[in-house]
Amino acid sequence: MEFPYGKAPFWILVLAIITGTAMMLTRKFTSAPRPDLVFIVFAPRHYEAYQKLIPEFERTHNVKVQLQQIHQRPLQTRLQSALLANTEVPDMVEIMNPFMGAFMKGPLKDVGFVDLTDRIKAENLDKRMVESRFSIWSSRGRIFALPHDVHPAALAYRRDIIEELGIDISKLETWDDFVKVAHEKIVKDLDGDGVPDRYALDMPIEGTSFFPLLLLQRGGRYFDAQGNLTMDSEVTVEMMIWYIHQTRGKDRISFPAGEGQPFYKALSDGLILFNFVPDWRSKVFEQDAPNLKGKMALMPLPVWEKGGKRTSTWGGTGLAITEQCKNKELAWELAKYLYLNKQDFSDRFAMLNIIPPLKEAWNLPAFQVPNEYYSGQKVGQLYAELAPETPPDYVGAYYEMVDGKTREVLIDGGIYYEKYGDKGLREYVKEKLRLKAEHVRRVMNRNVFLRQQEVEDSNITRGAVR
Amino acid sequence: MKNAKYKAYVKRTPYMFLAPYICLTCIFFLYPLISAVILSFQQTNGPKSRAFVGLSNYAFVLTDPDFRKAVSNTVIYAIFSIFLQLPLSLGLAMLLNTAKDKTKGFFRLIIFSPNLVGQIFVGVIFSVLFVPRYGLFNRFMQDLLRWGLENRWLGNPSLVLPAIIITALWMYVGFNMIYFLAGLQSVDKSLIEAARIDGANAWQVFWNVTLPAIKPVATFVVVMSTIGSFQLFELPFALLKGEFGPSSSGLFIVSYLYSMAFRAGDLGTGAAVGWILTLMIMAISLAQIKISGTMKEGQ
Amino acid sequence: MNRLHIFLLCLAGIFVVLYAMLPKRPHIAFTYLRYVILILIASVVLAPFVWLVCSAFKDPTVLMKYSFLPPPSEWSKELNLKNFIELFKSQPSMEGKVYFWQYIINSLFLAGTTTVVQMFFSSLGGYSLAKYEFRGKKFIMLFMLASMMIPGVVLLAPVYKLIVNIGLMDTYWALVVPGACSVFGMFLFRQAMVGVPNDLIEAGRIDGCSEFSIYLNLIMPLVRPMTGAFCLVVFLGSWNNFLGPQVYINAQSKLTLPVVLNQYVGVYANQYGVFLAGTLLAIIPPAILFFCLQKEFISGLSSGAVKG
Repeated sequence: MEFPYGKAPFWILVLAIITGTAMMLTRKFTSAPRPDLVFIVFAPRHYEAYQKLIPEFERTHNVKVQLQQIHQRPLQTRLQSALLANTEVPDMVEIMNPFMGAFMKGPLKDVGFVDLTDRIKAENLDKRMVESRFSIWSSRGRIFALPHDVHPAALAYRRDIIEELGIDISKLETWDDFVKVAHEKIVKDLDGDGVPDRYALDMPIEGTSFFPLLLLQRGGRYFDAQGNLTMDSEVTVEMMIWYIHQTRGKDRISFPAGEGQPFYKALSDGLILFNFVPDWRSKVFEQDAPNLKGKMALMPLPVWEKGGKRTSTWGGTGLAITEQCKNKELAWELAKYLYLNKQDFSDRFAMLNIIPPLKEAWNLPAFQVPNEYYSGQKVGQLYAELAPETPPDYVGAYYEMVDGKTREVLIDGGIYYEKYGDKGLREYVKEKLRLKAEHVRRVMNRNVFLRQQEVEDSNITRGAVR
Repeated sequence: MKNAKYKAYVKRTPYMFLAPYICLTCIFFLYPLISAVILSFQQTNGPKSRAFVGLSNYAFVLTDPDFRKAVSNTVIYAIFSIFLQLPLSLGLAMLLNTAKDKTKGFFRLIIFSPNLVGQIFVGVIFSVLFVPRYGLFNRFMQDLLRWGLENRWLGNPSLVLPAIIITALWMYVGFNMIYFLAGLQSVDKSLIEAARIDGANAWQVFWNVTLPAIKPVATFVVVMSTIGSFQLFELPFALLKGEFGPSSSGLFIVSYLYSMAFRAGDLGTGAAVGWILTLMIMAISLAQIKISGTMKEGQ
Repeated sequence: MNRLHIFLLCLAGIFVVLYAMLPKRPHIAFTYLRYVILILIASVVLAPFVWLVCSAFKDPTVLMKYSFLPPPSEWSKELNLKNFIELFKSQPSMEGKVYFWQYIINSLFLAGTTTVVQMFFSSLGGYSLAKYEFRGKKFIMLFMLASMMIPGVVLLAPVYKLIVNIGLMDTYWALVVPGACSVFGMFLFRQAMVGVPNDLIEAGRIDGCSEFSIYLNLIMPLVRPMTGAFCLVVFLGSWNNFLGPQVYINAQSKLTLPVVLNQYVGVYANQYGVFLAGTLLAIIPPAILFFCLQKEFISGLSSGAVKG
């Protein structure tokens, strides 16, 4: 018998029925009862570490915890839309800095994560951990995640080449010294083709990650502690001009080495000698460029002025508990278990070179172990010494926008510099920054939810902001 | 008695048959349409919190430099799709029109085929074709013109829009060609013969005979492709890996709406952008139809 | 001067020769030129597809080495299924492991269901507009025309809010129900059914058929070409739909191919081959459907344009 409506509708109908059955069957077989806690991480290395720790927690608390690792980007999108639409979310989740801000655009009650401020204060963790780290995970004075790390930044350099060139690292105290030495001894055309084959720093002209890093070190920032926009401050202008000088034109000391394979090739070839390396990245170097073992070393960042900060920060992870979580106390227990676990601090360091934000843990023997890769330096100790100086980075709801707009000015300023040189550069950058900041301020001031909250806050408490 | 009952039944039937449409329209068209008006006067945090802000959404959008960028990108794209893509489609249709039936079908199939692939898939494919040094497109340009091997088509603010236009050209030339082919088939062949005998050259024949004959189709295609251009979103979104390009160089009106409503969570501003876009589309389509109408009177 | 230039010059040269040798019959040269242009354009159009197929089967290490395929001597070494193997490996998600074939099934199911549902409701509505006279018919038709003028994106934000509020978020209902009755489809079916002789319907009534069975058993089989063309349009639209699933679906295991492949561009940032293999798989089903239905489709498309 022939299907009276033609072949195409027939096959499509058959297709819909077959796939529908297949879907129902897979749902039936794959659906398992929900465990007591579902915990999602994005970093594969965290996943490995927690996988070892969680069975112990499950045993002592007699519960079932489901740990899963998901790619950062899908995780972020999914969380943002699911928290707003009230669809299913995990109980606990690790968030990547600076994306916490994306959850903070509405009233505090809409954040979707449990306000951990009181719990953290009850354990005195706000004093026991590096204070500046809570800045990343806070909005309007409330803390929404427990910091996993500090991520103080250092410079990793090719010790072998630097020594060959007769450069004394201890003389590189300020960035002025650094640039001077770079011009005198580092940036060179070695094969005589008119193009330098050796640069001092790896910096992309777009300023991705490294511009905010340097800005923070210099004391500039996108937002101040009260959440006011400060992207157009004088120090940003100064920083931008410096950055443009070092990345553009003939006198630049940096080369944009990119990421992945091309980057490690540039590093191995000695095309770039210095790199911005927070604790986590020092391990990435060890793993991705093993050929440089013993040829690398670490040093604090040169300061901007005598007595200034010798470090900055890049990246970070925080653990948040969702409002949907049924068993919030248990989740908080697990959070403490994972983040304040002395044994794990040592394992974590061995695995990731990451030092914990908990100050009392820094004298653990694990951090005193010399590291062969970095020419026998005590990497843990070096980072722990820098950690208290790590600048706070106030991540507001509009952080991504501000970072984007600021770096747009950096690109435009760079193009201006290549065309007209220093003449009028400062005024140009300043004016551009002012316009972008005005734009962002308009967007921020429009947000009635942030404004409402300010009114409420000032009525209830004052100065809760760290 | 039975007859009357039956008549009532037949009378009722069309309403029954239309009931699904009427219900769905009320719920998913009329109600949202009204709520879109209200929503556009509110600021929201996703579907959760909202607050009345009056005309502030409109005022903000209309003065937002990003929105201006989105409008200018959209307009440039629309101009290229009308003045580059459509003439090419028409040219192709004319090349094909005189071919034999079988070859015509064959080429028509091939040139139309990109339309089977959704914008997202096309975006994904072309995001790799435009890779500096290794991308197929960059290599082809290098071979053909000795230029462009290292072009960062999707990273350089001034090349993003051209890259999107090129991709759209590949995708939609065949689609519009189908319409033009259909239009050309309805051109009266004897008129062309008559013009030829009168000594008209090819260009005169095209301008005075072919073009007026396909004008209804041409108007239709112009209006449709303008409306389509103003709603461009998925193609650049996938090409630029879910972002809007360096310095917003790949930001279009619907991308702006999407980022406002679903990235920033402000459905109210999203609704306001929607209304502004609707007014723009309506104004432009009406103008186009009017222009083609006055051209008719002029002849 | 490279091979491409020489090739193009040769093609041009042949044209000049043809034109010069047969001055009395220039149309031979022009026909030649016409076909050369058509073939060149067709190759440019097809090149990305050919490239896609090649890339999907190339070993990840040589993906960027060759524009298309490696030389045949290297085939055994450099052509393999590694990309597909990687693609079909399970991926962790909040709902547990998800496999790529699940996305294929989701997409097929959604496109299939959407097509069947839309076809039924649109043809039903179209039939009542074509073959009944009733009060309010003019108004409904006018309303339908007017509603086609409103671009869909205006409704994006309010419909999303509605879907969240009535609890259809993260379900396929949110994707199938709002568009279950397409205005465009109703017009198409009306156009096709207006020409059906009324006698046939009367005969059905005399035979004691119900109105619904007249529609289903007498009228629908008569408009098969339209059904086929409409099937393809709806199937393609649903298969390629990105914004809907992107906005309404949260669970990874429920996602469809466009959303997942867009996601994979980020996830497999250094393994182009994997998401290219996925894209290749994603464009096969609509291609099959199209080749079966292309005659109906193109005539349907063009007739709409010429009358409209």
